[in-house]
Amino acid sequence: MRSIRLFLYGIPITLILLLVGAFVNASFLSVAKKNEMSIGTIGEPSTLNPIQQADSASGQVAGLMFNGLLKYNQDLELVGDLATTWDLSQETTFQFGSDEEAKKADATLHGICWFVPLKTTLAGKLLIIQLEEPGLKQSDELKKILLEKDLHPLPFPTLEKGGKERPFKAEPIIRFTLRKDIRWHDGVPFTSADVAFTYHAIMDARVASPRSSDFELISSLQTPDPYSVVVHYKKPFSPALLSWMQSVLPSHLLEKVEPAKWSEIYNRHPIGTGPFKFGTWKTNEFIRLIKNPDYFRGSPWLDSVVFRVLPDPLTLQLAFQTKQVDFWAVDPWAVKSFEKDKRFDLFSSAGNMYNYIGWNLRRPMFQDLRVRKALAEAVNIPQMIKYIIYGHGVQSNGIFTPKMWFYDPKIQPLPYDPKAAAALLDEAGWKPGPDGIRMKDGKRLSFTLLANNGNEVRRDIATLVQDDLKKIGVEVKVEIYEWSVLLKRFVNKGEFDAIVLGWGLGNDFDQYAIWHSSQTHPEELNFVGYNNTEVDHLLTDLRQEYSRPEIIRLAAKLQKTIYEDQPYTFLFVPEGTSVMWKNSYRIRRPGSKPGEWIDSPVTMTKAGWDYDMEWFYRPEYTPKIPATQTIK
Amino acid sequence: MISFIIRRLALSVVLLFIISIISFFIVTLTPGSPYPWGELNPKISAEVKANFRKKFHLDRPLHEQYALIMRDLFTGNLRSIKDDRPVISRILERLPATVALNLTAIVISLSFGTLLGVYAARYNGHWQDALGSFIAFLFIALPGFWITYMVVIALVKGFGVPILGTHSYGIEFPNSFASGLDTLWHLLLPATILALGGIASQSRYLRATMIESLREDYIRTARSKGLSEEIVLYKHALRNSIRPIIAGIGMVLPALIGGAVVIETIFAYPGMGRLGYEAVLERDYPTLVALNFVVAALVLLGNLISDLLSAAVDPRVRLE
Amino acid sequence: MQGVTTSSSESPSFRVLRRFRSNPVAIISVMVIVFFALIAGGSLLLSATGHDWPCDPNLTNLELKLLPPSPQHWLGTDNLGRDVLSRMMHGASISLTVGLIAVAVSLGIGMVVGAIAGYFGGIIDQILMRAVDALLCFPTFFLILTVVALLGPSLLNIVIVIGLVSWTGTARLVRSEFLTLRETEYVKGARVLGQNAWHIITRHILPNAAAPILVTAVLGIPDAILQEAGLSFLGFGVQPPQATWGNIIADGKTYLLDAWWLNLFPGLAILIASLSFYLAGDALREAAESRS
Repeated sequence: MRSIRLFLYGIPITLILLLVGAFVNASFLSVAKKNEMSIGTIGEPSTLNPIQQADSASGQVAGLMFNGLLKYNQDLELVGDLATTWDLSQETTFQFGSDEEAKKADATLHGICWFVPLKTTLAGKLLIIQLEEPGLKQSDELKKILLEKDLHPLPFPTLEKGGKERPFKAEPIIRFTLRKDIRWHDGVPFTSADVAFTYHAIMDARVASPRSSDFELISSLQTPDPYSVVVHYKKPFSPALLSWMQSVLPSHLLEKVEPAKWSEIYNRHPIGTGPFKFGTWKTNEFIRLIKNPDYFRGSPWLDSVVFRVLPDPLTLQLAFQTKQVDFWAVDPWAVKSFEKDKRFDLFSSAGNMYNYIGWNLRRPMFQDLRVRKALAEAVNIPQMIKYIIYGHGVQSNGIFTPKMWFYDPKIQPLPYDPKAAAALLDEAGWKPGPDGIRMKDGKRLSFTLLANNGNEVRRDIATLVQDDLKKIGVEVKVEIYEWSVLLKRFVNKGEFDAIVLGWGLGNDFDQYAIWHSSQTHPEELNFVGYNNTEVDHLLTDLRQEYSRPEIIRLAAKLQKTIYEDQPYTFLFVPEGTSVMWKNSYRIRRPGSKPGEWIDSPVTMTKAGWDYDMEWFYRPEYTPKIPATQTIK
Repeated sequence: MISFIIRRLALSVVLLFIISIISFFIVTLTPGSPYPWGELNPKISAEVKANFRKKFHLDRPLHEQYALIMRDLFTGNLRSIKDDRPVISRILERLPATVALNLTAIVISLSFGTLLGVYAARYNGHWQDALGSFIAFLFIALPGFWITYMVVIALVKGFGVPILGTHSYGIEFPNSFASGLDTLWHLLLPATILALGGIASQSRYLRATMIESLREDYIRTARSKGLSEEIVLYKHALRNSIRPIIAGIGMVLPALIGGAVVIETIFAYPGMGRLGYEAVLERDYPTLVALNFVVAALVLLGNLISDLLSAAVDPRVRLE
Repeated sequence: MQGVTTSSSESPSFRVLRRFRSNPVAIISVMVIVFFALIAGGSLLLSATGHDWPCDPNLTNLELKLLPPSPQHWLGTDNLGRDVLSRMMHGASISLTVGLIAVAVSLGIGMVVGAIAGYFGGIIDQILMRAVDALLCFPTFFLILTVVALLGPSLLNIVIVIGLVSWTGTARLVRSEFLTLRETEYVKGARVLGQNAWHIITRHILPNAAAPILVTAVLGIPDAILQEAGLSFLGFGVQPPQATWGNIIADGKTYLLDAWWLNLFPGLAILIASLSFYLAGDALREAAESRS
């Protein structure tokens, strides 16, 4: 009797007491924070193996544990990381009908180009010339000289299927010199063998590396000594240099193991060279990295960094509000309230992605440039910027974004002008029909606009486009699908009318895969079916060009040509804003001279706020090494 | 008895086979396909995609895929498309957190539900009963995510209390007691919200059975003997009504690992529900098939245990 | 279990109605339900005639984005500047439709399966009940998620899916009613007189099983409404711009910490409507069951 009562009342009362106690405990918890940085990620990393990962969550975590040969500095310029220096050169080979002709050509070139020390080698019918700059321009000039002297080099077979024969072989070479003071987290020294292994692993079909397309043009990779790497390419391909930011894997751990086994022995607890070592990974909860005191640039100030998996944006915000994560990429609508609030520090920078509406150019109604222009002019982009991203962004003027060094700011974006748009549609033969919707040859100007669910900005864009276009007599039906359905059913097959998407491509000028007319097959990325011969040439030239001014010139031309064609309606480039609790972190990083330490607040750089994370520190745990210079 | 168990097990195997086929086809016929590379990525070549499909047998006809998945499931080689790890270990690593959450929720709903139910039955027909019913239905009618949001707003805006995950992060705890309470807080809060519906159904159920048994003859006899109302209520009526609850314990098994998608997502709690939900979004067929299979197996096992238990506690039930 | 023989002159349905009417909770619940139904019907009628009140639920106006409740917008505006009150009134019709049709689907299937299993018994009963067991083995929510992903998230599909997964309870209930009623004197009598199965089921058994079936129906409506809300939360519910109470909350969740009105009002609407259905259903059950 009593025992029944005890159970009946006792358990609920105990539970209530526990809940109250736990709540009191949670609300009065000491604010003594650990020397640990806490970062929230929406997605769970799939693997920490840097050559197998393709998702941004994995890249963010692995980025702290690994280094590449090269990296971006905070202004997004390429500098050495594992490599101290690198230089580019090229071997150009001419082939002749006979040994004599080759010899004659050699002599001719030496005679004419006496002002430059020309390094040449003769190998039978082949004349090999060492050039200091890769690319096709110099070699073309040499060929011209030879032709003038009536020497006719024989062509080489083409590299691609259906491509043209090449008058000469142009094979760029990159030579890297590596740092000698680097050790893996397990103490084994880092050498050129690791670089060679990483390259071979990426090309290994069993690894199924999503990075392989970057390395396909390599003809050979040599390691003459433990601290040099020489890479030969089959043909000029300027984006290749960027691919050496690829993180390097330890050959001593993986070389003798079947790639199929990597997921057990390595991918979830990797060994790298970076400032932080792997600590623990609890799936769907967190990944904790701990500092690497032997890091070759010096031990980080933080004891550890924890990445928390917080599955939706709201949770992430809640975690930030309760100081459970230290940074939050603020949603645009919330920026204003954070700016006013003195408890927070905000840093913003121009983003590197743009939103667009892609018009399927296979559809007859979108084949008319006047229609595409009219649609672009009828969409009120300034209003979108004002209300969707609260003014934190700029109107896009083409395929590149302002942060990129080859971006052309001079291109004027189309104005919002519904009257001109209506006139253009009239001119194109689309006249208002009985229900207010324009018609031509009995067909209504009506189409379906797709977007993916879970992306608020894109959904809002779709709704606004629907409203704006209704005003000029265009009917838009909005359909929202899950991402994987959107891809498989519509994008991959190229079967859609129009779609709201965004591109965030980093600092790469090579957009061959997105705009070249050869890339319009199922699953390829020119899914709007864009086809312009001039653009095709520009894209091909651009990826063979190494000279910076020339790249800027070609890229500007490309950006302008595509913008004038309006295969997309280019919408806007949102700004990225991050927020942290006031003064929760500062940075103390080494200066250019030895012994010099510069102390500064966290700021947004071109490379993001989280650049140089190893030098972040919490003011409660000020580093022992004093600063020689302090920036307020 | 033994032959009953054997027959039930045989039937369960047949059922499981049918369920596995149905679930495989529902899962794979869903539009969309696995795309583990996030947003559109120009670096992913057609070759990489083909390799990926080959690795997970996605290029084979469906019936072969089914056979391969079942073979791998039983040999323990079934790997997730998302992170290429054995599906079994992905499920197992969620188990502790899921069991903790759901077990706590069950304890909360049973204890509070019983209290509420007894109270309502005792005052059957009075305003207390009406109030109890009202509370119970209120709990059932609360949309789960809505009440979670309201609680979350109150706690975060009002108190700034950490609520996500299984414990607080980045904090030096003064002692292990504080850290224990912290873990408890992160468990009790979602469990309480999860338990609301359970409290309601348990109280409704208990109220009904108790009112039923209070009308039985032996209770009248007990009352006429002059036993106090409390003894009648607790000793006889409650004990009698609790029997079916004990018998129902088997049915708790699937709930223990079934997961609670919405609450786990909001509280960033690493449970089974999120595993399944994310697998649906990622089209992670192996994980989904394995998960459906395990849950179905547990339901069948739970049914069996329930039947055996009810035979054990209630002599009137015969197994046939 | 309600009695099948009537001793008084009163017909059983009238007696149930009388008892139901004497319960104040039931009266209030029904009034609330009627109130929501009137709003739903009214907004449908108004929008059919092109007179939306207070305004067009799908009219976006970004300048009025995320405004708190005010005299112009009684319940505030959402992230696209749409009037929340108008959306909720439209949502009422859609949410109630979801409940009604889903219940109709589940009752239809459940009654047919339960009646066949209960009336004929034997091997047919065995097969059907094992099928019910098999269906119960699926985690319902995943089943809904995958089927919605399979068919596409249109209003009709969602309603059908919710109905499709929730008929098992009805089937079991109807079956057990049938098993009991099958053995009663007058059904046996009807059989002896050679009446066919259809006649016996529709004339003799169904009227007597009507009350418990009605109760499950009433209790099933809020279940379906809550299911749809849960689906909306995960992004698998009725798609925008169509408003339901569930997707108003779901769409507003990003702004949760600042725009509480996007969460509070539709949530209260779901709560009050479901609660009324539950209380009404419960009162109905009490009225049908009590023996006095």
